[in-house]
Amino acid sequence: MSSDVRFTDFKSDKQPTWCPGCGDFGTMNGMMKALAETGNDPDNTFVVAGIGCSGKIGTYMHSYALHGVHGRALPVGTGVKMARPDIEVMVAGGDGDGYSIGAGHFVHAVRRNVDMTYVVMDNRIYGLTKGQASPTSRSDFETSTTPEGPKQPPVNPLALALASGASFIAQSFASDALRHQEIVQQAIEHDGFGFVNVFSPCVTFNDVDTYDYFRDNLVDLDEEGHDPSDYEAAKKVILDSDKEYQGVMYQDDQSVPYHEQHGVTEDMSDIPDGAPEDAMDLVREFY
Amino acid sequence: MAEDFNWAIGGEAGDGIDSTGKIFAQALSRAGRHVFTSKDFASRIRGGYTAYKIRTAVDSVDSVVDRLDVLVALTQRTIDENLDELHEGSAIIYDGERSWEAEIPEEMTAVDVPLNSLAEEAGGSIMRNVVALGAACAIANFDVEYLDEALEKRFGGKGSKIVENNKEAARLGEEYVEENYDLDHLGYDLETTDEDYVLLNGNEALGMGALAAGCRFYAGYPITPATSIMEYLTGRIEQYGGHVVQAEDELSAINMALGGARAGARSMTATSGAGIDLMTETFGLVATSETPLVIVDVQRSGPSTGMPTKQEQGDLNMALYGGHGEVPRFVVAPTTIDECFWKAIEAFNLAEKYQTPVFLISDLAMSVTEQTFPPETFDMDAVEIDRGKLVDQDEVDEWLDEQGRFRAHADTDDGVSPRAIPGTIDGAHMSTGLEHDELGRRTEDQDERVQQVDKRYRKVETARNEEDWAYREFGNPDADDLVISWGSNEGALVEALEYLEDDGIDVRVISVPYIFPRPDLSEEIEAAEDVIVVECNATGQFADLLEHDTLTRVKRINKYTGVRFKADELAEEITEQLSAEVPA
Ligand SMILES: Cc1ncc(C[n+]2csc(CCOP(=O)(O)OP(=O)(O)O)c2C)c(N)n1
Ligand code: SF4
Repeated sequence: MSSDVRFTDFKSDKQPTWCPGCGDFGTMNGMMKALAETGNDPDNTFVVAGIGCSGKIGTYMHSYALHGVHGRALPVGTGVKMARPDIEVMVAGGDGDGYSIGAGHFVHAVRRNVDMTYVVMDNRIYGLTKGQASPTSRSDFETSTTPEGPKQPPVNPLALALASGASFIAQSFASDALRHQEIVQQAIEHDGFGFVNVFSPCVTFNDVDTYDYFRDNLVDLDEEGHDPSDYEAAKKVILDSDKEYQGVMYQDDQSVPYHEQHGVTEDMSDIPDGAPEDAMDLVREFY
Repeated sequence: MAEDFNWAIGGEAGDGIDSTGKIFAQALSRAGRHVFTSKDFASRIRGGYTAYKIRTAVDSVDSVVDRLDVLVALTQRTIDENLDELHEGSAIIYDGERSWEAEIPEEMTAVDVPLNSLAEEAGGSIMRNVVALGAACAIANFDVEYLDEALEKRFGGKGSKIVENNKEAARLGEEYVEENYDLDHLGYDLETTDEDYVLLNGNEALGMGALAAGCRFYAGYPITPATSIMEYLTGRIEQYGGHVVQAEDELSAINMALGGARAGARSMTATSGAGIDLMTETFGLVATSETPLVIVDVQRSGPSTGMPTKQEQGDLNMALYGGHGEVPRFVVAPTTIDECFWKAIEAFNLAEKYQTPVFLISDLAMSVTEQTFPPETFDMDAVEIDRGKLVDQDEVDEWLDEQGRFRAHADTDDGVSPRAIPGTIDGAHMSTGLEHDELGRRTEDQDERVQQVDKRYRKVETARNEEDWAYREFGNPDADDLVISWGSNEGALVEALEYLEDDGIDVRVISVPYIFPRPDLSEEIEAAEDVIVVECNATGQFADLLEHDTLTRVKRINKYTGVRFKADELAEEITEQLSAEVPA
């Protein structure tokens, strides 16, 4: 495969088992189109998926992929990219996966600035475990485990990313197909860690953060004339809890990805048949 | 017993004990003497007793003994801690000027050297330990010139002035003792040879093995005593195009290493204690996704934070059984420092040949102990690399199904599937910790489940039959009584044989480097009158395994003080056990 890659090449032959209407369909379509549009093909792409309804994405896409344990997708993606700077790495998961059990990894993946794309399908609920509060659930959102709401403020993943030194922060909405695709594309093309929080409604367990809610409340940053290279402006929209934004909030145009800073440029899968030629030097060092 | 000489320096953490010891060890090695070191340290950076001990002989030495010939004591505690190892012929170097009156038992020789003043004379009090080294050379009749090379190695980077000052400090120490004491009656006279040796510890050997084996990616999180593997690889792995990442925790470390491995790089992570607990979560994923990964556990004293700077072999069950569900794996435990090198190489080969996790379990004693070896011990030309069924671009087609999908988990006679790494055209596939079919797609189909579980365990069966799971043997193969050990106890056990022989006791020793799969010892155990299993843990985890394998009760020698076995002590324990009843 090469230049004539179509987005359907990234589709596997497994039919998604997501609930009809789940936001994850739109999120995935946009990701596949963005990958194809940016010149990638399944044999040079590695998708790492988290655990949750969202994490099933690895199954429905076709590429090299790993579906790991809950919350650890980012470290796996980091390992893949370190070993193979030549491979396009995309990591995907849910808000529980990324901001709860995986929150520690999120902070560090952001600050490492490894050149990969992280797409979080944020439905503000735990879908796969059938409707418990997630770290992005509203503080009064009633669920089976929080009958009176979590009574804790939600995590603001964009602010967390900004505070961790992110070089690319964006948000999109699964059902605004073109904008979502365009934003993921920008994240892929970004030199460094491209983070996209996607509003991806759960039609089964979340009757508050619905398609209608986002449609009614979404403000597009492009239409607002937002300049993503303006850190102060980014801070403002990211910390604005009154509105829901889509678009690229922040992009550091000076971003130097991890592998360039650390000189990690070799294909590490290629090793000699025996010890390296000068390996006896390793022994001599101990004289 | 070889004519050996035992030296130690002890003081407070932060006194430079470790580097001083290392300098002397290197000097002895340069003089063509064998060296075996051990360290006593507490879990703190400043304050707290620490010691560095060296046993040296012309013949090879593989263990520590309860004997000190020359002790450099920077504190009274050093003397107190080592009293039972000191003997009538021991000399104790101390600095009487440094406002402490050393309490030294009369029968020993007190050697009062103004370490501080002489160091200042040479250029700075920081060199007082080096003065002590010079003094030790004088007592041992060991040419102080051998120190020069070691000092150059240690301080060369800091400029020639520092090196010269240190050489001077050593000489002043030597002269002081020669002028003020006549110690020839102690009889120390360290012979030198023309042999060339290298001096390294278990973690360095393990790291060197990993590099020789083509390890290119390492992710880890600092923890004693595994950290020095990461430190060794950092700065060296880059010259082969590799990279080390210090992850945010062990959960991340093992998952990063997993990512590196799936991308096709020979990858490794290492940890200890609590770190291996955190990694457990991912053991099953490594096995189920059939990822070749080397996971090192340098055991230390547990449970919980336990005694983090002390020796134990308590994680064998963890390596064997850690993780939920049933996780096929290999568990390899090097028995000596040089074996840390060779077993690391073997671990990478096993991991790739069988596409499964390989646990390499070492321990604290081995990790910090330095030992001399002829450089040919680490013969790089003998290193063989077997990447298993890694498919080339032109082999991919053989493994596609009718729809052109890559059968990443194809059921095969040997249980091993083809492995395609990213970039291989048409090899794209999904791997998962979920149960899956041959294509890697999730399944709950009963037949497919059984097929995949059987397939994964068949790999272990294949390996059991195809690989050489040999054990190492010492002592008299025809002796009635059998002593079995695993991991780093081998050296002490082998030397214990000499003590036993002196007492007319004849035993056969089997040292086992493979825990799973492991050699079948049923015949050996059945043939023996008494079987004693030696290990550094309280419950006898390996003994339990052997009893399980053979349905035979064995005797046990367990040590869990936090200190490794010593040869003389082991000989005594073995003698005792031989006359004891077999447990009911
Ligand atoms: C260690 C661990 N703890 C708990 C679970 C159970 N679990 C599966 S998915 C999930 C939450 C998923 O939520 P989210 O990431 O928001 O994804 P969604 O299903 O909403 O897409 C949990 C807690 C697990 N698989 N592993
Ligand atoms: S439960 Fe919610 S998140 Fe999961 S598939 Fe259904 S709609 Fe999507």
